[in-house]
Amino acid sequence: MMPTWLRDSRLLLHAPLFIAIWLLLSRLNVMVEPLMSYYLALAAMYATAMFGMVILVGLSGQVSLGNGALMAVGGYVFAVTSLNWQTVPLLGFQWNAVWSVIFAGFGGVVAGLIIGLLAARLRGPYLAGLTLGIAVGLPSIAARFPGILGGSQGLMLTVPYPDGGYAADVAGTAAAESDSAALDLALAGADPVPADAASGSSDMLTPSDVTGSGAPGDMLTADDVTGAGASPSAEPVPVPSASSISATPSGTVTDAGFVLEQWQASVSIAVACIAGFVALNLVRGRQGRVWKAVRDDPIAAALAGISPAASKVSAFVVSSLFAALAGAVFAQILTYVGPGAYGVALSLSLLVGVVLGGRGSLVGAVIGAVLLVGMPVVVSNLAGERGWSDQITNNLPTFLYGLLLVVVVLVAPGGVMGLLASGWRRLTTRR
Amino acid sequence: MLEVKQLSVSFGAVRALNGVSLVVPRGEVTAVIGANGAGKSTLMRTLAGLVKPESGTAELDGVQVTGRTAEDIVRSGMALVPEGRSTIPELTVEENLHLGGLWRPSAERKATSAEIYDMFPVLAERRRMRSDTLSGGERQQLAIGRALMCDPTCLLLDEPSLGLAPLIVTQILQLVSQLAREKDLAVLLVEQNAVTALRVATTGVIMNLGNVVRVGSAEEIAADDELRDAYLGS
Amino acid sequence: MTTFIDYLLGGFSSGAVIALFALALVLVWRSTRIVNFAQVGQAMFTTFIAFEVQQATGSWFLALLAGLVAGAVLGLIVYALVLRPVQRLDTSGSIIATFGVLISLQALAAMIWGGDPHSFPTPVANEGLEIGGRIWPISWYDVLVYAVTAVLVVALTLLFTRTNLGLSMRASAFNPEVAKLSGIRVNRMLAFGWALAGVVGAVAGVLIAPTASLSPNSFDILLIFAFTAAVVGGLDSLIGAVAFGIGTGLVLALVTGYGEAGDAPIIVLILLAVTLVVRPGGAFGRGKSRAV
Repeated sequence: MMPTWLRDSRLLLHAPLFIAIWLLLSRLNVMVEPLMSYYLALAAMYATAMFGMVILVGLSGQVSLGNGALMAVGGYVFAVTSLNWQTVPLLGFQWNAVWSVIFAGFGGVVAGLIIGLLAARLRGPYLAGLTLGIAVGLPSIAARFPGILGGSQGLMLTVPYPDGGYAADVAGTAAAESDSAALDLALAGADPVPADAASGSSDMLTPSDVTGSGAPGDMLTADDVTGAGASPSAEPVPVPSASSISATPSGTVTDAGFVLEQWQASVSIAVACIAGFVALNLVRGRQGRVWKAVRDDPIAAALAGISPAASKVSAFVVSSLFAALAGAVFAQILTYVGPGAYGVALSLSLLVGVVLGGRGSLVGAVIGAVLLVGMPVVVSNLAGERGWSDQITNNLPTFLYGLLLVVVVLVAPGGVMGLLASGWRRLTTRR
Repeated sequence: MLEVKQLSVSFGAVRALNGVSLVVPRGEVTAVIGANGAGKSTLMRTLAGLVKPESGTAELDGVQVTGRTAEDIVRSGMALVPEGRSTIPELTVEENLHLGGLWRPSAERKATSAEIYDMFPVLAERRRMRSDTLSGGERQQLAIGRALMCDPTCLLLDEPSLGLAPLIVTQILQLVSQLAREKDLAVLLVEQNAVTALRVATTGVIMNLGNVVRVGSAEEIAADDELRDAYLGS
Repeated sequence: MTTFIDYLLGGFSSGAVIALFALALVLVWRSTRIVNFAQVGQAMFTTFIAFEVQQATGSWFLALLAGLVAGAVLGLIVYALVLRPVQRLDTSGSIIATFGVLISLQALAAMIWGGDPHSFPTPVANEGLEIGGRIWPISWYDVLVYAVTAVLVVALTLLFTRTNLGLSMRASAFNPEVAKLSGIRVNRMLAFGWALAGVVGAVAGVLIAPTASLSPNSFDILLIFAFTAAVVGGLDSLIGAVAFGIGTGLVLALVTGYGEAGDAPIIVLILLAVTLVVRPGGAFGRGKSRAV
């Protein structure tokens, strides 16, 4: 795959595009308030995972509900390696977050290969059922290994510094003050936060989460956080984005000038840009045509010398790599990994995002990611105005996702991008 | 009597039928012949209600059938035996046969099925077996039998000879013309195999590229070498 | 040895319910070649309706009846509004649409009834029966579950093999065009298949609710179990779905009994994966079981 990818890549054309996007988003990241950075981090994370879904569901035509589970693989590899390894095995380098992300991607490739080999033989509904089973069965696997994987309570992560190192104790104490941290930030004047925005963000913190991240001292082992870590997994997680909002302290300042959300967003944006670059080159290159050929007519593709199985497996591996990278970023954003965070709802929301945006489009994936992050925010704002109960507010976004999924499939199978494309065509042909 | 007037069908930009008119009288076989892509199958599928016509009408004994669903058309007495193996392999011979008249009162249905079993003794012998154990000719008999279960006044046969041995083809076509006479059926037979079809038909209709190019008595058309060379390519 | 028997007996009851869910999946598959991933969502929703009726009237049987009617209606609605239009599209479209229905039904239920589990009453005692001086892991309620399951399976089998309606449904499923050309109202038959599946799912929901407790997501895991049973049984076979549904229940009971409860989904997943690897079209896909 590698040589053809290199030959076909339009490095000269695509690289400046993604560097520009990266610079733009990075600039945006330091300009906005921490809550916005946090949304940015989430959206970039979703986009990373959904680039993989575009390739898998859109181009290769395999409907997977297990990509949330593949994200979990990335998240857990990230957590376990960063919690347990001080140096890179064999190489001996000082361990840091970048290494964790790389290892997470590696884990994703391995998992994708295994599932892909299994899935390449399966037709539509069988594949969907199997991947759904993987998504559902995943928490049991984590629960099976309470020691290293933290069981059903998950693992708390410490907050890395910008240089990639870890500082466990600082993070602990700082997070405990998270409620006032947002105000501190506003007072510091470096980045003024409107009062209602700051209070709005702290509203989303449930009390247990504050104590959870504020568990004193060394959080390296699961046993230390049994009490604290229980809160995220004990809660039902209807929408991952909603849960993640409540699971992360907002406006945390660990050091002068260091804003946790900004750091998280910068990692997330960087990963998303790299993933987007790779995805675009794959989609526009030979491999993209191979995937589409196999999707549209596997027999004709086989007669043309393409192996349908290899094509399907490669789509799974690539999408799994992206999912794992996104999972690692997600772990950073939550500063936590646990079965609840990577549940079925996450897998389903990836599907929602990719279908809403447009199944075969990378830009559509970005639109889908923004919708996934934006919808709960819009709904909770509306709920505040209209005085809806929590029961409504917490579930309305999911309800709308489901409804949109049906409506999109019925009236606009191409999603938002499909609508835009047909609108554009209508405009241009009329003239 | 089946009367087709100015029937047109398009698939996107492609015109499959272009103002086709023809009359199928009762008691005889009318054969539609023509090369691949002449629009013969489209004509049959449109008459049976599987394809929506763009314009034009078809009337069965003065009652309009175009614009109605396939289910209703069968129930009003016009049955299509579609091209290829149109029996359902998972069902038994008897189940396949009975399908054709499930909506009829059970006494009538039983009478008709007894008649059909008399006509096709092989089917009676194998009534409890799955239909995919039958030979090709037997399956074609079963498909015709199923079409007869609705007690039709008009029978549409789409390429019944497809993939069958010549001897069996002759048998089946002779049976069809016998049916037309004995049961006073209007039979519209579509065939690529012109010689065989014209042998049992009273009237021949030649189609080419969605148009009716010639209507005449079967003998007349069979004798016309020029026509054969121009449109039938055989 | 006695514990082994106890585990098995316990497994029968949950197996019967899994079998019913698997049966519902098979009914939909047979009628429209779609795996209805929303099936347990529909069952959850109708069970909530049954729960409301039970709370209002105090009668379990009225609740069951309400569940049945709601199941049929919901099945029809989902088919007519969502799946019938979608069938013209690709397979991915129908899979995504059923998940859309699942998500929105679950969220709707959570909006109406909240996320907390509700306890659903039983019409007869749910304590272990005492026979021969020891308490067995079978209650009168379990007996009721077996009886209802058995009645449903027999009734469905008779419907499909002995009635004109059943024949019409099978023909519509196997070859819609030939069915239409035979005068069968195919769309009605497909819709009836969905309604029937909705009824079977609703029964399964009401039966499992007392043991599983009732919440918007409490049936999720059952979807996987039922899907596994249906796929291993071949997706086309009523008998296969029932046999492997009960089999899945037994496996779960043994795993939970001898191992840890949390391992059950993994074992079922392995069962599913192995079946699909060996027979990608389901264990008893094509073949004689399809005619049943």
